[in-house]
Amino acid sequence: MSELTEDKGAPDGGPALPQRPVMLELDLTINGDQYRLTCEPGDTLLTVLRRLGLFSVRFGSGTGESGAAAVLFDGRLVSADVMLAGQASGHKVTTVESLDVATGELDPIQQAFVDIGALQSGYSAGAMVLAARALIEANPDPSEAEIRDALSGILDRETGYVKVVEAIRRAAAARRGEKVPPVEPVVLEPLTGPGSTERRVPSAEALQAPLAMPHVVLSSDVAITAVVGKPEPKVDALRLAKGRPVFTDDIDLRHMLYAKVLRSPHAHARILAIDDSEARALPGVHAVIHYGNTPRVKYATGGQTWPNPAPWDQVSFDNKVRFVGDRVAAVAAETLGIAEEACRRIKVTYEVLPGVFDEVEAIAPGAPLVHDETDTEGIYDAAHNKSHHIEGQTVTDEALEAAFASAKHVFQQTFHVQQQQHAPLEPHITIGWLDDDDRLVLRSSTQVPYHVRRMVAPLLGLPVRRIRVIKPRIGGGFGGKQEMLIEDIVGYLVLATRRPIRLELTRSEEFACARCRHAMTLTLRTGVDDDGHLVAQDMHVVSNTGAYGTHGSTVNTVGGMHGMSIYNCPAKRFRCDVVYTNRPVSGAFRGYGAPQNFFAVESQMDDIARALGMDPYELRRKNWVQVGDPLDIVPRLGERGDVVEIPQEDLPRIMSCGLQECGAQGTRAIGWERRNDPSWRQPADRPTIRRGIGMGSAIQGSGIPFVDMGACSIKINDDGSFNMLVGATDVGGGSDTVLAQIVAEVLGVELKDIIVTSSDTDITPFDVGAYASSTTYVSGGAAKKAAEAARARIVTRAARLLDLDDPGSVELHDRRAWGPDGRSISLGDLALNSLHTEDQEQIMGTASHYGTASAPPFAVQLAEVEVDVETGQVTVKKLVTAIDCGVPINPITASGQVEGAMLQSLGYALTEDLVLDASGKLVNDRFGPYWIFRADDAPVCEAILVQTMEPSGPFGAKAVGEVPMDGIAPAVRNAVLNATGVKVNQLPLLPERVWRALNNVPTSG
Amino acid sequence: MLVFLPVSLEEAFDAFEQCPDAHFLAGGTDFMVEVNFALRRPPAVVCLRRVEELQGWRVEGSEVVLGAGITYTELLAPRLGELLPGLAQASRTVGSPQIRNAGTVGGNLGTASPAGDSLPVLAALDAKIVVASKHGRRSLELADLIVGPKRTTLAPGEVIVEVRVPAALGSQQFLKVGTRNAMVIAVANVALVADWAGRSVRCALGSVGPVVIRAREAEEFISARIDWEGRTPPSDGDLAEFTALVRSAARPIDDHRSTADYRRHSVGVCAERALGRVFSGDNREASERTSWAS
Ligand SMILES: Cc1cc2nc3c(=O)[nH]c(=O)nc-3n(C[C@H](O)[C@H](O)[C@H](O)COP(=O)(O)OP(=O)(O)OC[C@H]3O[C@@H](n4cnc5c(N)ncnc54)[C@H](O)[C@@H]3O)c2cc1C
Repeated sequence: MSELTEDKGAPDGGPALPQRPVMLELDLTINGDQYRLTCEPGDTLLTVLRRLGLFSVRFGSGTGESGAAAVLFDGRLVSADVMLAGQASGHKVTTVESLDVATGELDPIQQAFVDIGALQSGYSAGAMVLAARALIEANPDPSEAEIRDALSGILDRETGYVKVVEAIRRAAAARRGEKVPPVEPVVLEPLTGPGSTERRVPSAEALQAPLAMPHVVLSSDVAITAVVGKPEPKVDALRLAKGRPVFTDDIDLRHMLYAKVLRSPHAHARILAIDDSEARALPGVHAVIHYGNTPRVKYATGGQTWPNPAPWDQVSFDNKVRFVGDRVAAVAAETLGIAEEACRRIKVTYEVLPGVFDEVEAIAPGAPLVHDETDTEGIYDAAHNKSHHIEGQTVTDEALEAAFASAKHVFQQTFHVQQQQHAPLEPHITIGWLDDDDRLVLRSSTQVPYHVRRMVAPLLGLPVRRIRVIKPRIGGGFGGKQEMLIEDIVGYLVLATRRPIRLELTRSEEFACARCRHAMTLTLRTGVDDDGHLVAQDMHVVSNTGAYGTHGSTVNTVGGMHGMSIYNCPAKRFRCDVVYTNRPVSGAFRGYGAPQNFFAVESQMDDIARALGMDPYELRRKNWVQVGDPLDIVPRLGERGDVVEIPQEDLPRIMSCGLQECGAQGTRAIGWERRNDPSWRQPADRPTIRRGIGMGSAIQGSGIPFVDMGACSIKINDDGSFNMLVGATDVGGGSDTVLAQIVAEVLGVELKDIIVTSSDTDITPFDVGAYASSTTYVSGGAAKKAAEAARARIVTRAARLLDLDDPGSVELHDRRAWGPDGRSISLGDLALNSLHTEDQEQIMGTASHYGTASAPPFAVQLAEVEVDVETGQVTVKKLVTAIDCGVPINPITASGQVEGAMLQSLGYALTEDLVLDASGKLVNDRFGPYWIFRADDAPVCEAILVQTMEPSGPFGAKAVGEVPMDGIAPAVRNAVLNATGVKVNQLPLLPERVWRALNNVPTSG
Repeated sequence: MLVFLPVSLEEAFDAFEQCPDAHFLAGGTDFMVEVNFALRRPPAVVCLRRVEELQGWRVEGSEVVLGAGITYTELLAPRLGELLPGLAQASRTVGSPQIRNAGTVGGNLGTASPAGDSLPVLAALDAKIVVASKHGRRSLELADLIVGPKRTTLAPGEVIVEVRVPAALGSQQFLKVGTRNAMVIAVANVALVADWAGRSVRCALGSVGPVVIRAREAEEFISARIDWEGRTPPSDGDLAEFTALVRSAARPIDDHRSTADYRRHSVGVCAERALGRVFSGDNREASERTSWAS
């Protein structure tokens, strides 16, 4: 028997600290090489592999539930995070680094992942490639079900698995020696518009193409382009597929310390005293920080433009805690184990206060006050827990009531929606250190590096110039990383210890202590006439912001703005109270308030249709906004009560709108008419099953006008390639690629001629960051302008070199500058000339761009469901999203965004919910009980990109990332209504909730 | 902490003797989660993965003898799957490929979670569990091994060695209700065996009590009503009575996943469907799945 020890540990087995840990030796074959390693006995295989520099194996949860840490163990897929390293001794371990053998060469599986766009953030790329490899080796011709089963233990929050499954199918086919078709958009005929009144069906070819290929409805007014609009592989796809060390945690720093945050066990308490002496006395502890030794500087954590919206209701460490998991103290120590032990040794005396969790209870008289401190300014009504109040209306109260009085039918319902967590596979992580000039460097998984730099500065007492924030690749954000959430802690600890500091949230902390979507109670009253035209809409929202008000005003303003803008209606009013409770903190989340509002608006539309005996699609068509319609409530929302008088001509207007085409494509794709067939709805051979189809539609924005700004800088190199520097933050969605495509198009070169550097506050120009669906539209505008500036320098020189009088006559394409007479010069030669030969000049272009409009993208989304009436189980068979995102700059990344959003919003509809116990503690802080969809239970997801030409966007583009988040939940709810006749007005549609609704069983207790 | 890598039971016992506070570790899929959450800091672990006697399976007479170290993936392999269809169905719903490749039946027993997916099947098959230590071997029923949530009667140093179950016994069904089917802890799971030769129905319920529950009254009732010769499906009235008896056998609690009411209701639905499928010869997937699997 082998016994893996060198040294005897603490005999009682209690905390071995502070003694030197006992090391054990193990023999492993890793990627074909023999290793003899020492590690701590409790180390997992994950820890040991990462320590060896095999960074493709990543932390996702520490519970085997996320799959980011999957490796091949004697050829079989296992989770390295739940395998004891010692147990692996003598075995063979394979990671994706084993495939990275020759420069530039890709394994066929990796190639397929790159080609079809299967990787967004790529955080779990290594695990997925290995799963595919194990599968294909055992089963050269796997079925879709087998592929999905093989992927079922690797969670992906980004792709909806559609392109991942297709990548594996392509790889298997390639390996069998079959020819795989090129990745090309499938072009669908338009169904509406001039000359197409009759129903047309797509060609047989189009219907056969895999859904993972982007399906596009072209618009005739879109110019032909060379790079824009093409399904280019992402510029970072290769390094992601290879599992290269590109994420925050994928670096080795000498003398790095580990940070750990002590978190509140109470939902609401005052901290009377903290005794950190025992923690400090623990060998290996270098710093302990808490309210007693850090400055009290008020701030708001939301990563937003200066000045951050009020109230600034947080300090880094407060003497009061407001939710279970709130910060109490933080420790820096030699190892994570020591830091954890030190946290346990901090003695905190709490005065426990009663908590309040429900938003409606929180505004009732006598509710516990979450923010009773005196130094927070700008709370709307602290005595009633109201952080903000938002109002907006297009007519006076009297006119609104008159409109309701004149309406033939008035509908009113109350809807409840829950807190949903972003659950990015990579948790929040920041590593900080002092550089050679003692400047603070923060390498952070953030969507807003520039906001972080500005916001962290006053907390640490450093000028902005002493701070550099670097955003490497990040493993998913979805709004959760539009926050300055942990960087301040890392900053304090770096300054206190002068050593590098690493702080990564555990999965449990990510669920409980990061951010989530606002829970809301929404009451919607709508008046309609007999034809189904809306005559009055009145929404009242009570929105739960949790313990802090970050994003409270903006999320709720934007949510109401979009929810109330999809339909034409002569009288609209929106009111919202944003309410503090002792729940986890709500913040920015993809959709930014719109999914909640659309759940109410779009659910009620179906109820109206039902009551009027109309088809819900027809009802929507009648009321949908069109090109030229004003966005009348948009400029009127704010913290004021009165109607803002705005001349009609000053209202923002819709300049492109594909809603009607989206409706036609979406209903075709889902087979809408089946919903009217009773024999389909109630299949004879399955007595407990009811089927149904439902719809939801949505509008969103493209950035925030006059606020969001991006900048870009471009320079030419000796060989005619270009460096592009952008502040824009690629969170996996592909903005680096899309911006480079825009630049390549303007400069007449190929995508591979553009070398992208993004999101480093020392190097790249400013950008507000990745949020509000702004990157393509706003930063894309900057990229286009910067490229045009460089182009102007290029054509000037080209005209001189080609002896032309008019630089305006020079065209750039095929990497050359062309005169009207057909003579040309390569950009490489032109670059050499400009850099070395005559009248030397670094050809550059730099530009900024901010939106003066926020062109709305639209989506029509549909769901086909089966409801088991005995168990209440809702199984979604198919989801369709037809989206108008203007001209998709890259149909692969655009359709990938849509597919991912569909599945993320399906979780919102069916399973995801932050559940607290009576004391306010989160009970489902793990991926098992907090259920996000897996490859094997995801429905068929079909994305259709309906092109429109948006005059205000770069090359006609609008935003794509958020709008497909909005309509799925109501579509599912409406499909359940179609199937069963039962209205479930609370999310998520858990089996028990649906069962109770079907059987009229009230909840006991 | 010490890590022992014995290759035989004798060595495992020796390791335990050397270090009486040691914990046994099989696939680690339960144990390591606790270690990672710092809920457990064992002074020593004895890894069972390489212990010869715990590996593989064999047929002895009318019994299948499973080594405690058998993984779910192995249970899904064609030959064993035919001999033990109920266990195969249950295995298919466990976790993910990674978990099925590492997790073992011995570990499912050792963890003794009320939601453990192999447990109702073992209970319905009247499995015998053989445990051994330095001081000898004993064989016990599931109910005598698992006596409470996460509580077993294993003496210190006792290793689960093998599980003995009848081969290819009658018709077997396993059904599970969760928020979704796999990787979630079951809201309710049911294993049902119709032993045509022995003329009895056995029905075990998981996740609706502190331990797996055999619905004895329901079993006796329906076994007496079934037309064993003709194999005709039970009448609606008998099915309803059976379901009601199953529900009254359940002892569920409220938790965040579901209320006791719903658990009691669902366990009845599962049992009713399992019985129905036994007669209709419907061997569909153990739990309702999406179109990919059908
Ligand atoms: C992501 C994930 C999903 C999961 N999904 C499911 C699921 O769907 N259904 C389900 O039932 N379970 C599930 N589990 C739990 C777990 O995988 C199973 O319980 C598995 O059977 C445990 O086996 P193991 O070999 O990994 O046990 P280990 O973790 O090695 O051990 C578990 C316990 O059993 C003891 N033990 C192990 N073997 C023996 C032995 N031979 N003798 C004595 N004691 C022993 C150990 O000391 C320990 O206390 C899941 C776990 C994870 C991480």
